[in-house]
Amino acid sequence: MSLLSERLGWIVFEAETKRLHELVKAVLPELDGIVGWEQGFDALHATPVFVNREEDVHRLMWSPLCVHNLSGYLVKTPPFLPRDEGRKVGICVKGCDSRSLVALEQEKFLGRDRLHIFGIPCEGTVDWRRVMKKIPLRGVSSVRREGPELKVEDSRGVHSLPWEESLARRCLRCAHPNPLVHDVLVRDPVEPRIKKDEAYGLVEEMDQKSLEERLAFWSAELDRCIRCYACRNACPLCVCQDRCIVETRDPKWLTQKMGISEKFMFHMIHSLHLAGRCTECGECERVCPMEIPVTLMKEKLNQITREILGYEAGIDSQLVPPLLTFNPGEHEL
Amino acid sequence: MSGKVFIPQDKLASALERLNEKVPVWVPVSQGADRWGIDFKPFRAGMVPVMDRQSTALPKEVIFPQVQTLMTFEYVKAPEDPGRVQLKLEEPPEAGNALVFGARPCDVRGFFTFDRVFTEGPFVDNQYKDRREKTLFAVLLCREADEACFCSSVGSGPADTAGGDLWITPVEGGYVVEGLSERGGSYVQLLGDPATEEQAAAASRSQEEVSRQKVGSLDPSGVVQGQKDRFEDKDFWRSMVNQCLGCGVCTYVCPTCYCFNITDEMRHSRGERMRSWDSCMFAVYTQEASGHNPRPTKLERYRNRVGHKFSYFPEKYDGMIACCGCGRCIRSCPVSIDIRKVVENLKERSHACA
Ligand code: SF4
Ligand code: SF4
Ligand code: SF4
Repeated sequence: MSLLSERLGWIVFEAETKRLHELVKAVLPELDGIVGWEQGFDALHATPVFVNREEDVHRLMWSPLCVHNLSGYLVKTPPFLPRDEGRKVGICVKGCDSRSLVALEQEKFLGRDRLHIFGIPCEGTVDWRRVMKKIPLRGVSSVRREGPELKVEDSRGVHSLPWEESLARRCLRCAHPNPLVHDVLVRDPVEPRIKKDEAYGLVEEMDQKSLEERLAFWSAELDRCIRCYACRNACPLCVCQDRCIVETRDPKWLTQKMGISEKFMFHMIHSLHLAGRCTECGECERVCPMEIPVTLMKEKLNQITREILGYEAGIDSQLVPPLLTFNPGEHEL
Repeated sequence: MSGKVFIPQDKLASALERLNEKVPVWVPVSQGADRWGIDFKPFRAGMVPVMDRQSTALPKEVIFPQVQTLMTFEYVKAPEDPGRVQLKLEEPPEAGNALVFGARPCDVRGFFTFDRVFTEGPFVDNQYKDRREKTLFAVLLCREADEACFCSSVGSGPADTAGGDLWITPVEGGYVVEGLSERGGSYVQLLGDPATEEQAAAASRSQEEVSRQKVGSLDPSGVVQGQKDRFEDKDFWRSMVNQCLGCGVCTYVCPTCYCFNITDEMRHSRGERMRSWDSCMFAVYTQEASGHNPRPTKLERYRNRVGHKFSYFPEKYDGMIACCGCGRCIRSCPVSIDIRKVVENLKERSHACA
């Protein structure tokens, strides 16, 4: 396995990875540990890693395959390391991930003073399924970015794909690629791909469709849902954890049936619980094995929240999320 | 050569249409225009099977559906004495025949695990047995092994035909199909014209070539002891699967995972007793009525998952590993946990101990 990770990987992002190692080594003795990414089982996959010893620092890496939002590990059980309450915890975040930290701080799940944040300005993360769809690869040995192209080497040679065509949907609509909170930055800030109000294109497209068309769209999509709940478990803000309404039998909200209505109910509750809280990190959609665009539902709710309340989640740690406030004088609602 | 037919690529859909008239066929189809994943679905005219990659979801569904009605029931008042309530039970309709076209060796092998548990007693699961007997498999010679596959490490391989009724070999311009079982053989002629000598020879060459391939380099021996040695070692399990999200993906895409839940889904006085897939990675899986949970965190849950497949099952069923090496749990895992790595480390550390 170790041989594999030495053999595989990114070439162009070595500089950032090296810088990350230096930055981590400098503070590791003061930290309880750090969560970051390391090479996964093949060149197209990274995997989260938890490091608290200097000899493991070399495992950490940065590349556009570091797709996972790691902030959930800070708030979900069991804690990823035996905790020493007196020390800070280190975490690597992209722009989108940093918003989860802000949102968790807003909801008092996290204290900023307990974190040491390694911020990574991000030019987008690669969606391996999108890549595979464009170029069916066999035995991928290396992946790298060369200017406007993604270059992938497999058993049949080197293939290239326009960079933008390899990216996850969430990255194509990302207005915050630079971490909003951080103690150190691993590289220089990057130019956002879009402006804030350009992020809801797909929602607007859906809004143009008739109700019947929308129903048909979601019925076809949710028909594939296998109720694995990865979308729920991956969400850093789905904090009910093992007390979720989809699994309780008493009270019983959902049956075990596989019909569309059960799945709709699950996804509507999931989305409504995230309304005005969701930071649109896109994890729920990324983790879905059935490739269902589940973030889109949350995008719709967030668009409404923006329009009516002028509020965006995970931007300002001092603000109270609108659905967590009760203000009798409120008149927009 | 006798008994082999050739289906040109552009005639595959019409061949399946003919087959579907004789027996309901399930085929691997795309999940959508810009989707990577494929899924097994009942064949309908116009469907184009996707034969060049492994499916995300499984043909497990055909024999062991994600939800299955075991019986329906109704509470009715006795006409002669309305104070008395009677329970009316109804058996579900009998399952029909089916043929899974383009299943891969690992997809079929998954059922061998089921068979041991569901058909060999002391209790026989009749619903499972019935569907199992009525389902045929047209197995594909698998030439698409990737970095996550390791079927040769667990007793199978990309040219494995065990459990198959027909064998599909992709060749230039189409597929050569031959019978493996008597029932399967009876459908061969229906699918295409007899293969030419060249086509048949190309198929044999491909079969030989693929059967020489070793997919995966895992050696699962010694894991039983490793699991025992490491059972209580929390640090070990933490170092292996700390990143686990505790979702059900790995179990739901696994061809050998057979755990189920039974619930009565009622509305007013009528209801169904249903069997549905369960997942040992869910917290409620071992939740007891008292509130106590013997597997309180994902660490214990994952320990059970790998233990069940590589230790407890082999101990109980003459060494048989409850994993077919399809690699789906690795490929679909949202955080890329690699079961092979856990198995390797279980062994290594247990050697180091000794
Ligand atoms: S709902 Fe989805 S996009 Fe929103 S915060 Fe949760 S995982 Fe991220
Ligand atoms: S991750 Fe996908 S398949 Fe799983 S429950 Fe969520 S939407 Fe359904
Ligand atoms: S445990 Fe993983 S590799 Fe084994 S059969 Fe299940 S999905 Fe396949």
